[in-house]
Amino acid sequence: MRVDRLWLTDFRSYASAELQLAPGLTAVVGANGEGKTNLVEAIVFLATLGSFRGAPNDALVRLGAHQAVVRAEGERDGRALLIEAELAAGGRSRVLVNRQRLARTRDLLGALRVTVFAPDDLELVKGGPAERRRYLDDLLVAVDPRHDRTRSDLDRVLRQRNALLKQVGGRLDPDAAATLDVWDTRLATAGAALGRARRELVANLAPLLGSAYDAVASEAAEVHIVHASEWLDQGYAEVLAEGRAADVRRGLTLIGPHRDDVELSIGPMPARTHVSQGEQRSLAFALRMAGHTLVTAEVGSPPVLVLDDVFSELDSGRSDSLLEALPIGQTILTTAGRLPPGARPQLTVRVAGGDLTTDSPGVPPVGTA
Amino acid sequence: MSVYTGAVQDLIDELGRLPGVGPKSAQRIAFHLLKIPTVDAVRLARAITEAKERVTFCERCFNLAEGTLCGICSDDRREPHVLCVVEESRDIVAVERTREYRGRYHVLQGAISPIEGIGPDQLKVKELLARIDPEGVTEVILCTNPNIEGEATAMYLGRLLSPLGLTVTRIASGLPVGGDLEYADELTLGRALEGRRSFDS
Repeated sequence: MRVDRLWLTDFRSYASAELQLAPGLTAVVGANGEGKTNLVEAIVFLATLGSFRGAPNDALVRLGAHQAVVRAEGERDGRALLIEAELAAGGRSRVLVNRQRLARTRDLLGALRVTVFAPDDLELVKGGPAERRRYLDDLLVAVDPRHDRTRSDLDRVLRQRNALLKQVGGRLDPDAAATLDVWDTRLATAGAALGRARRELVANLAPLLGSAYDAVASEAAEVHIVHASEWLDQGYAEVLAEGRAADVRRGLTLIGPHRDDVELSIGPMPARTHVSQGEQRSLAFALRMAGHTLVTAEVGSPPVLVLDDVFSELDSGRSDSLLEALPIGQTILTTAGRLPPGARPQLTVRVAGGDLTTDSPGVPPVGTA
Repeated sequence: MSVYTGAVQDLIDELGRLPGVGPKSAQRIAFHLLKIPTVDAVRLARAITEAKERVTFCERCFNLAEGTLCGICSDDRREPHVLCVVEESRDIVAVERTREYRGRYHVLQGAISPIEGIGPDQLKVKELLARIDPEGVTEVILCTNPNIEGEATAMYLGRLLSPLGLTVTRIASGLPVGGDLEYADELTLGRALEGRRSFDS
């Protein structure tokens, strides 16, 4: 999977830009605020039709423009890949893959896969359970796009059940109870489907996470990842039945996949609260890397790797081991400062004042010196 | 916001309230209506008024009707003991096009969706139950949409009707006839596999 060339029109800060990418490592260098991240955001947009920074879609269109266009030429499974996406200022998007219009956005998932490492990833370890659930669910979809439906079904059923719980206002008459029975059954099915998928994913992820952590951390340690969901062991339908009185009282579904957490620990220490920031950062990287390795193994080729401004946070030794530990594939890194000593880019793109200049070294570095 | 004077803006606003009509389409239709000959515009207005005056809901099945009963309920040739339960009147049109079904209908006028404040009380559920005995209904086909709300509605009705000792069935989901397997989306194909039947020759 590879992106060779990228065109942007009215995307973020760019009125118009064209960018060539190396099959191996491309470095995007420029001062803060020049638009480095906007370039990689465009690649991520083609893969997910969203922003990895959590920006709403209409914020991706350049201020004052009617629509943004992102176009990329590349390769997938040995065949040419052309993805064209238009995003209207109103937020609606249209995508063509190899000049074929996609019937559903869901069909885009899997056309281009991207793994993003960003400074915000620290939140995966330090932040609340929602961050870790999103990490798991995004990874589920990356491994198997069908899980996009597993996830959206659960969201919808849960919203319906919560709306009903809110409406009954704490008292459940027999009519409302009969309706709630139906939503309980639907929720039990949808919730168990997502719970089982997450559990299987965590089981596959655990061994990869251990080796990924050892590769980036300054000292090796035993890392644990546990998907905490007692409701799944007990049977969700039973749990919902037992918890009904409490749910009715609170007007909310209190137990289920939407409350799951992924418990991370380094040795005996809970990673969220009891380890150093350096260790947390290493663990966040390890989570991304383990996900990347898993998708590579499941899909057969590595996703395009985006390292957005991550080296500013790492010392050179760990930067080098991170670079070494990554599966071989296309990598795009952005940095405001120096490149880590171990990085030998085939192409360097300099971003300044909205202009892109590319310099490639005379002889592409092949192998190691 | 409103750049047009009184009557024009009123027209645009009214059109914009229609389903599937956004502000731009509303504006285009309004200008079209203002441009066409008066007789044509008045004919449209009269069609709307007359439809609103004459068309009501069938007292029995809640399909659109002119008079107390709809065309299907007043047709003696229809099998009276089988009921096909649909969400909207337009779903009847879809089922009728199959020419496979000779029974009668019951229109719920929606599906259970707490988000939109729609529960069984807002639907014609009590009216459905009230038909079972007097009409001697022996089979109910649950023909709601195969989405989250439609499935929930079907499940709710199934639980309500099964104890009454009649046959309750749910329409199958599967592949479009005359299509190619390779073009089927994986969800539909998955459901079709789930609902496979043994091959009897």
